[in-house]
This record gives sequence, C-alpha cells and structure tokens, in this order.
Amino acid sequence: MSIVTPTRAAESPGPFWRRAHLTPYWLLAPAVVVTAVIVFLPMAQAVITSFYDLILFRPNASRFVGFGNYIKLFSDPVFWTALWNTVIWIGLTVPLQMGLGLVTAILLNREFPWRSVARALIIIPWALPSVVIALMWRWIYDPNTGVLNDLLIYLSVVQGAVPWLADPHLALYAVIATLTWQGFPFFAVMILAGLQGIPKSQYEAASLDGASSWRQFLHITLPGIMPVLATAGLLRVIWVANSMDVIFVMTGGGPGYSTHTLPLYAFIKARQNLDFGYGTAIAVTFTILLGSFVAVYLARTMREVEK
Amino acid sequence: MGLLKKFAAGLAVAATFAAAMATGSANAETVRFWYHFDNPANPMSELVAKFEKANPGIKVEAENVPWNSYYDNLYTALIGGNAPDAAMVKLFAQPRLVEMGALEPLGDRINAWPGKADLLDNLLELNKGPDGTQYYLPVQYVVLYLYYRTDMFAAAGLKPPATCEDFRDAAIKLTKAPDVYGFGLRGGKGGWDQWGAFVFSQGGALKPGGLTNPQAVAANQWVIDLFRKDKVIPPSAPNDGFQEIIGAFKAGKTAMTIHHIGSSKDLVAALGDKVSAVPVPKCGDGRWTSYGDESLAVFSASPHKDAAWKWISFLAEGQNNVAFNSATGQMTVTKSGAKDWKLHERRFVDATVESLPFAHVLPQNAATSEFVNTAWQTAMQRALTGQISSQQMMEELNALVAQ
Repeated sequence: MSIVTPTRAAESPGPFWRRAHLTPYWLLAPAVVVTAVIVFLPMAQAVITSFYDLILFRPNASRFVGFGNYIKLFSDPVFWTALWNTVIWIGLTVPLQMGLGLVTAILLNREFPWRSVARALIIIPWALPSVVIALMWRWIYDPNTGVLNDLLIYLSVVQGAVPWLADPHLALYAVIATLTWQGFPFFAVMILAGLQGIPKSQYEAASLDGASSWRQFLHITLPGIMPVLATAGLLRVIWVANSMDVIFVMTGGGPGYSTHTLPLYAFIKARQNLDFGYGTAIAVTFTILLGSFVAVYLARTMREVEK
Repeated sequence: MGLLKKFAAGLAVAATFAAAMATGSANAETVRFWYHFDNPANPMSELVAKFEKANPGIKVEAENVPWNSYYDNLYTALIGGNAPDAAMVKLFAQPRLVEMGALEPLGDRINAWPGKADLLDNLLELNKGPDGTQYYLPVQYVVLYLYYRTDMFAAAGLKPPATCEDFRDAAIKLTKAPDVYGFGLRGGKGGWDQWGAFVFSQGGALKPGGLTNPQAVAANQWVIDLFRKDKVIPPSAPNDGFQEIIGAFKAGKTAMTIHHIGSSKDLVAALGDKVSAVPVPKCGDGRWTSYGDESLAVFSASPHKDAAWKWISFLAEGQNNVAFNSATGQMTVTKSGAKDWKLHERRFVDATVESLPFAHVLPQNAATSEFVNTAWQTAMQRALTGQISSQQMMEELNALVAQ
C-alpha cells in the first residue's frame, strides 16, 4: 500500500522550490512505475478479460460478453460452495494460527534451558516451502501408509484408518490443520517481539496491587500486543485467503469440490481449463470481496488499536 | 491477487525471454525440447551428447518439466509464444493442439525417414490426428493391465480374475479391512483409465449419449458399489493418485491394482515374484483397456523445424529409443529394440502384449482433454463419496462431451 500524500503544490512558484518539492515524487517514481506495470496493469487487464468469453485454446472464438461471466458465476453452484469453503478456510485458519502462536510466544517468553534453540526450531514450519509441507502432510494423512492413522489406531482413538483427505466432510479441516501448523510460527515470532516490548515494571506494579496472573494477562499483556495482533492478523487474512498451493498439492480441490476455495477455483478454471474469461471473473469477484473485508477490518480494528 | 501477479510476472519473463531468443539465435541452431521423466536416472544428457556429436551445428536444450503441470505449462507457453520447438505429447492433447494450430504436420518427413520401417505396426495409424494428418511420432507405449499379488491369491485359493464377476468375487475374498483391501482404485487425477476398464467395456463411450445409456450408468454404479457397498477399495481412494495406489500395493495394503509396465520394476524391487500381471478382466461382453501413448511432436511456430525433426526422429530410432525407455520404464516402439528386450520381466511384457488386441485410445475431440484433466476426477470423487448418484455423474460428463 503506497499512498502519496498531497502536499501544497500551488504555493511554490519558483523553479528551485519546485524542484525541491518534486524530489519525493522522483524518488517514489521507480517504485510506482514498477508497481503500476506489474500489479495494476495486469489487474486492469484482468477486469477487461473478465468481460470476454476467452478460452485460450480457441483464440478466434473470443468475444465480448459484458457481465455474462459474472451472471454465469452467480448461478454457478460451485462458486457458492467455493465461497463458503473460503469463509471456513480463513475463519478457522487465522484464529487457530493466532491462538497457537500466542500460546507459543508466551511459553517462549519464559526463562527455561535451551530457550534459544526452541526459538530457532519453532520457525521451521514457517521456513519450509509450501509444496514440501503439502507433500509431507499428504503422506502423514495417508490412510494406508501414513503415520497419523497408525498413531491413532495404536492409541485406540479410532478403530480403522480415517481417510482424512478423501472424506468430503474432513478434507477441508485436514488441510486447515496443515496450514495452521505452517503459519503459527509467524504469529509466535511477531507476538514474542510484542511481548518483549512490554515494560517489566507494569507487571511488578500490578502484582504489588495484587492482580492475579490472569488479570495481568488481560490488562497488561493483551493491550500490549494488540497492535501486533491486529497487523499480523490482517496480513495473515490476506495471505491465507490467497494461498492455494497447499490445497492444490494436497487434494487438488477434491474430493469433488469439497476443498475448492475461490482462488483455487479461479486457478483451475484459468490455468487447467484455460477458460481465462471465467477464471478472471472469479478472481475479480474474490478481489472485491476480500478488498471490502480488508477495508472494514482496517477501519474497525485500527481505530480500536489507536484508542 | 496472487494468481494475477504471477501471471503478470510470467508474461514479463516470457517477453524478455522471447526478445533474448530473437536476438541470440543467429548461427548455431538450438532445439528446445520438453519432456517429462519421473525416474531419477535420466539418460537424456547422454542422448543429447550422442545427437550433438552426430549433428554438429545443432544444439539441444532438453528440459524435464514436472508431469503434474506439464500440459498447463505447455498450453500457456504455446499461447504466450515461448513454446519449445519440440516436445513429448500424448494423444489426449492432440485435438486441442490441432485446434490451436500448434502442430507441424510430419507425414512427409516420416515417409522420407529410414526409421519408419522399424516402427511397430499400427502405431502411426493409432497416432493420426483428428483430421487424418500425421502430427505425432510415437516414442513409447504402454497398456494398462491388472497387477495382482500371487501369494495372496494362492493363500485364498483364487485364480487371477478373467471376468468382472471373478474380479469382484476375488476382491471381496481378499479384503480383510482395515489391513488389506481387494483393489486399489485411483480415484484422484489420472484414474479414468482404470475406470474405463469397467465402464467403457460395458457400453460406455466418450460421445454424446455414450455415458448416459442404462448399461454405462449401471457399470459405473458397479464401480461405485465396489467402494461404497462391497468396501473392497481402501477408503482413501477418492484422493488417491499414482503414488498412493502404488505405495499401498507395495505395502501389501491392496491385493490388486491397475497400472502399466512402467511401475513393474519398482513393484518387483519391493515384492519380488509375489507380484504378477494379467490383462484387465472382461466385463459384460466387452473388454477395454487404455493404450497409454507417448509421442513426439514439432510445433508449427518453431523456427528450427528441420533440426527439431532430426532430434525427435533420433529419439525414435532403435537403440536410442531403448535408452529413452530405460528411463521411463515403458515399451519401445521399434521392432529392432523389441527383439532383444531386457528392461522388464517377461510376465509383464506378456500381459502387455496380450492386452494389445483390446487396447484403445479415447476418441479425439475437444472434450477429451478436459475429461482427462479435471472433469472425470471431480465427478468420480463426488460419486464415490455419495454426493451425487451414478446417473448424475454420467449426465455431468455427458454434458461435457455434448458441448
């Protein structure tokens, strides 16, 4: 997000002043140009493409259809399934990552032997490439040869092997668990940094006043890390919403449509079926939805934080 | 917006690449070639060295593109104008490539080529384009057959199944859930060719109305019932791909599965003589198995068509073709190479040859690519998990064919 703040341009007529006044713009220009060319231009192109019936292997049959793709989209049951899956996907993954990250950060903030090693190790899931994680977890979940079912059967938690990724009621949650595992170190590290910024004297004063550790957490720790939570949460919502690599590798969107999220559906339509018109219509719709969510989130949360 | 960003970045890279290609290819001809080998032992660089020695003035840049996104990459590269000069291609992609006008006709070149007489009979006929033109040069082939565990069959006093009834009966007797299942079905990507053995043999066909006739719907129901009612297929089947079905078979989790000779080495290494193969069972009155083809093609946009043709025809000649197949574990397309075939155990070669009389390819129309790529698996997975009925699944696939 780069916002150019308007400065008072009309009040400086002299060439010297004008040059000094322009300096920030010159400095910003390369970044703006690059962003415009590789982000905004394709975005505009995507919006235009979404008004066409464009199937890439039939370039000659391409024609303008106006809102045709969007009308088709809203009557497409897969779109609604994917939208609902996206809501669950974001709605569960981000809070779970945040919760797990918070617990981890509080643990890591205490004194214990080998703490620095633990801090380094915790980063591993976050540092691994998504595709590696997806393949790894695919084997962990495998009902025939995977370790998870073996453990659960050994502990008598389940009777037979559970097909985690092949059951339409479980697959999405299984992938969410994987992504939670991948993403919680990000929160842990961010929150840990926030925790270390809270002055010790506040806790000392509170314990002198007889505040329990729960009340200390509620009234000192939480407000202290609120700005971190708000910012990291927003970043994660955007990343998780857009990330489809883990789903794609683990289930390919299946079984059936049960792990289709909107970005994945757009990807499958555009890249695998080469239906770029429809694929971009999905992507544009999702961008608008996510954009509005982010706007509301920013308006509300940031106001809370700045109080 | 991740997708669009990537797309834009891809376009930018493609554009710079294209510019670099245009300025830098003045004297020595460079043939860019795409292929996909899963096997870590890759003889491609030796083949390239041998070819470059015999053809000074031509350089070959061979790129191993991962199979899972091979066609996605190929189509987008073709459209983006950054396609290779030649590539490994399968028949199901041919109608789409022809529709795009991407393929160079090879008929005259093949007729003038001395290696033509050494190709196995009928392969060129099978490879013809939907418009009757020859675009593809065969490079390897496989036929799907039934793998079975000889020890499990012997212990249960069973013979390898010859009919669908025998097959179901054996699968039920061999299943000792949750430890062993009768049959490893590939319900994920690429499983349509297993399914074809049960459905295309009994009146199903990839043409309008060919999937919705009562026999085809019933045959499909029979497959679904194997999973849902008889429970002779592991519960993971809807998400299982190649790795999973082979992994489960090797681990002794399944007693039968359907695949081709390409996996025989791997299976023998794990199971020794406890694994053997027979042709897929006869179902109803028909028998159908998938002829798995792999060919080479030159793209019409290539500026080095003659050099590209020299390279691909080199790969289809006698010993070169044998070396190529030693990497893919598939069968050679040359008579001279087949005469002294040592890459596979005899029993798997026999099962392949016995299957040839009823081996088929899918009809070549525009719907085939989508059927193979995405449509079959999404429909099958929902039918297997009870979200739609057999009839609904077949109607959905029929709608694709009828487009």
